[in-house]
Amino acid sequence: MRRLFSRRNVVAAGLVFFAVLPFVANPYVIFIGNLALMYILLSVGLNMLLGYAGQLAFAHAALFGVGAYTTGLLKLELDLHYGLALVAGVGLATVTGLAVAMPALRLRGLYLALATVAFAQATLWVFTHWNSVTYGGAGFRVPPLDFEPFTPRPDIGVYALTYVIVLASVPLGWNLLRSRVGRAWVAIRESEVAAESLGIDITRYKAIAYVVSAMYAGTAGGLFAGMLGIVTPESFDLFQVIVHFCMVIVGGLGSIWGGVIGAVGLVGLQEVLRAFRHLQEIAFGGLILFTVLVIPGGAVSLLKRYLPGWKEPLRRTEHDE
Amino acid sequence: MKLSQLTATVGAAALAATWISIAAAPARAETGVTDDTIKIGALGVLTGPNAKFGDTIYNGVEAVYRQANAAGGIHGRMIEYVREDDRCQAAEAVGAVKKLIHQHQVFMIHGGACSNASLAAKPEIVAVGVPWVITASTASSLTDPVHPRIFTTMLAGWMESYAQVQYAIDQGMKRIAIVAQHDNWGRSRYDPLIEAFKRQGIEPVADEEIAPDPSDGTPQALRLQAAQADAVILILFPKAAAVVLRDTYKIGYRPFLIGGSTVGDVGVFASNVGIPGAADKLHAVSTIGYTADDPAMAEWKAKVEAAFPNDTFNIYHMFGIASGQFVVEALRRAGRDLTRESVSQAMTDLSVQTDPYAGPITCTPTNHQCHNTAAWFGLVDGVTNRVGVTAVTR
Repeated sequence: MRRLFSRRNVVAAGLVFFAVLPFVANPYVIFIGNLALMYILLSVGLNMLLGYAGQLAFAHAALFGVGAYTTGLLKLELDLHYGLALVAGVGLATVTGLAVAMPALRLRGLYLALATVAFAQATLWVFTHWNSVTYGGAGFRVPPLDFEPFTPRPDIGVYALTYVIVLASVPLGWNLLRSRVGRAWVAIRESEVAAESLGIDITRYKAIAYVVSAMYAGTAGGLFAGMLGIVTPESFDLFQVIVHFCMVIVGGLGSIWGGVIGAVGLVGLQEVLRAFRHLQEIAFGGLILFTVLVIPGGAVSLLKRYLPGWKEPLRRTEHDE
Repeated sequence: MKLSQLTATVGAAALAATWISIAAAPARAETGVTDDTIKIGALGVLTGPNAKFGDTIYNGVEAVYRQANAAGGIHGRMIEYVREDDRCQAAEAVGAVKKLIHQHQVFMIHGGACSNASLAAKPEIVAVGVPWVITASTASSLTDPVHPRIFTTMLAGWMESYAQVQYAIDQGMKRIAIVAQHDNWGRSRYDPLIEAFKRQGIEPVADEEIAPDPSDGTPQALRLQAAQADAVILILFPKAAAVVLRDTYKIGYRPFLIGGSTVGDVGVFASNVGIPGAADKLHAVSTIGYTADDPAMAEWKAKVEAAFPNDTFNIYHMFGIASGQFVVEALRRAGRDLTRESVSQAMTDLSVQTDPYAGPITCTPTNHQCHNTAAWFGLVDGVTNRVGVTAVTR
């Protein structure tokens, strides 16, 4: 019975579930599925920076916004193909991530947190007040997307694209973390002095963490713009940062699969609790408190303890082949 | 992975997916209508500090629906009112509206509080063709250009600003100034205000900016005084407006003040300012035509507070009551053979004098911004009274 819930089986079930969903579910359920997939990208990307590299950075929601705004504006103003606009959105978010990394490389702990909060707020201010480009507080509509000849339904098109990107990005992250890069991140997280004494180029690997994390955030942002059809500044405020942090913490800090579980779990919980209104905020707060106090390793730590195949060694094992 | 495990896994996933699809039952003849019920959905902010813009308004709507149900329903059908929270967020609004349409299978949508959230929900509503009566969102682009199935019973964003300029001119003011906060909310009113000035062919004699949460408004007050403005239009939240009133009063400058709907309850606002006489020359625009404690609203006050014991009757309930009365009348006009098309047709050419508004809610084929009567409130002998009405045009 325990083997039934091994990582392979659960991941396979998840893949099949998300693959079948658009064929059998109504548009509401498809939207929620899409939202969960998109948050998987965000959560996995943030986990690399926060959980593995140990950088207490709050710029993720802003980079998510840069991806969304770039993709949406290129589609709106230049009528660029959505795929190209998405690539451009990822590109600009990545460059912005690198720009954030430059000053952030010299900061640690609370100072890093404060600097990145300031960046997030400044970005939000730009989204809100640069009226001639971002359309200010009211935001803008993204023109309807065209996925012909694959499907006449844009929501299914975005869903399928998100699914494929998640299918590629999560294993990519999984492999990255078990490579020299992932091990360097963990060494930096544990002790920068010790890592440096081992010959790890701290500046380089920290910068890589910011860039890779920004790529994931930018991709999620571009998909978010396509899925929602509207881009407004409040979608990228500090509340979003909190949501992203919750996903990583509840799922499991420093675990790729924790990020996935956190994203799917919290999106699902949010929808289940819709009916209970005021209970939603209490349940969210309670869940985070419970996680921090009782299972600080997040949901995935329980799976690692009780079920086979959930451990995430930072090297390739024969079971991975 | 063993074949048996794979089969079990795939089977479980397929079962779960099938279960979800079954949960979303297929549509019947006219979605959301049975022989004895009409299901109407509301999306809006139901939780958090902004809940008054959604939940409180919907309590007003529901009070009207309960009254209609108690009187035998609409052509024998009882109205069921289902609410979904959008938390003023675009992503939440899309989820909420999809749930209302595809999961709850509502006949029509009656709600919408935050403009950006409503704008995010609009494409889905348009795509499915669900009739939508907006209760509180003010973004003009929701209803302009006209969509055959979308109507609003709230003053559109531009109307309040236009009404302020019009009212200043009607009161014989020559030198008109502005004090505005330039955040999201402020810009959405400031831009139409400048447009209204231009259309009238006049220029503001001063245009001052102040933070939404200021501690001092003396510099602005001194500049307004130096510009010799005889009227000052306020595009401010109550906190900022109170600071401006306090500091103009402090320097002995007493212009005619034209407030927005944020200070529409002039009596409450004056007591918050706390300086006797400071708000005497303030007139503020409001969507509704009466104060919450006006005897004309006593019956509704009793009904709402009986139905929702945690609520204290206020202007937000009144928005909902007006909107609810409009929808009930539209459903009646649409007849027993109720369809989305028939109710939309009924609303397209409908005028209803509701209890809380100063003028009728009137929709025409070319105008679905159906409420355009702004009422003005001021203090008369220390008591809040309606002092004027402006029919807003552009």
